[in-house]
Amino acid sequence: MFKAKFKAKIIAVLLFMGLVGLCGMRAIGGPQSSAAQADHPAHETWRKEFDDVCSKTQDAMTFSQEELTDLIRRCDALLPQIKKLDESQKKVYMGRLRMCRGLYAYVLDAKRNEKK
Amino acid sequence: MNKKIFIALALILVFCGSALSQTGVKKKRPLPYEYGRVIIDNYSDKANLAPVVFEHWIHRSMFTCRVCHVDVGFAMKAGATGITAADNARGYYCGTCHNGKRVVDGKTVFQACSRKVNLEDEKRCVRCHSYGEKVASDFDFFKFSEPLPKERFGNGLDWEKSEELGLIKPASFLEGVSTSKGNAFVVQKDFALNPKVEGMPDIIFSHKKHTVWNGCELCHPEIFMGVKKGTVRYSMVDISQGKSCGVCHTTVAFPLTDCQRCHSKPVS
Repeated sequence: MFKAKFKAKIIAVLLFMGLVGLCGMRAIGGPQSSAAQADHPAHETWRKEFDDVCSKTQDAMTFSQEELTDLIRRCDALLPQIKKLDESQKKVYMGRLRMCRGLYAYVLDAKRNEKK
Repeated sequence: MNKKIFIALALILVFCGSALSQTGVKKKRPLPYEYGRVIIDNYSDKANLAPVVFEHWIHRSMFTCRVCHVDVGFAMKAGATGITAADNARGYYCGTCHNGKRVVDGKTVFQACSRKVNLEDEKRCVRCHSYGEKVASDFDFFKFSEPLPKERFGNGLDWEKSEELGLIKPASFLEGVSTSKGNAFVVQKDFALNPKVEGMPDIIFSHKKHTVWNGCELCHPEIFMGVKKGTVRYSMVDISQGKSCGVCHTTVAFPLTDCQRCHSKPVS
């Protein structure tokens, strides 16, 4: 009887310690890498969209005004998702998105100016 | 008599002082291996580490400007990125390549910063945190530059010709980081810009030459924001203060003293 109670107590303590350990890892950020984050499905969605939108900058000059407007809209839609990322990722991708969106807006302005 | 000498000396001092304040003190021209060097000291001092010495010449021989300044996300102005050891340890900025895993030119790139540091790691830390320290580098500028075509200023090398001759092959794509290969840009044709000074040859600006290494978004709109040709006036004073062309051509790319590389249209 005493043995069984003791065993249950030990298991409960171990479980509790494990839980505390897990929470602690989450709180201090834990070991993580960009690759590990990219594997997470939620992150993968924004990253795929980011890669798709910003991989077209080299062709910016060939796009119509409508296409450029759509690319700018997609950049704007990505911003709230990037704002939710961890400090390092946010710093990198906010900058990358700013440059990518900036170029599309710049080319769009140039095209509008050409027509005047 | 003494009073006259005193007044004359005082006048000379006043004139020299005002002349110096107008022109500034002449900067020491960096040596070829120093050109493009960036000293990064955001948080090193607080962590009791020497500031980081970043050598542009090693990195630009392996990667295009775009890879680091667009894809990896380094700012164009020294110190503006605000890199932290935590960023590097998470695999961003320097840690994008310096992670102990990425292989460049057949060599595994050493890890920049890690969360846990032991005594063994100190040797690794000083590879970058080396300002004012005596640290032997794996790369020897003179050995590296020996086979490359020479130029007069900057690093003393013709980087453009070096690539044309296949002596350097800067990569334009970083697996898992870059979004595009960035090697087929649709750009405007080369054009001429008239200088303000009469008799000075026109500047021939080549978008093609610039986009090969920079892409489009590195320059537009953050460095060059004018959309209509001729609306923004550029001056050598602004450029020498690090604006427009001066963002790169006072720091890493060939310097402003190499006049005829931009003012290159033959005078008829």
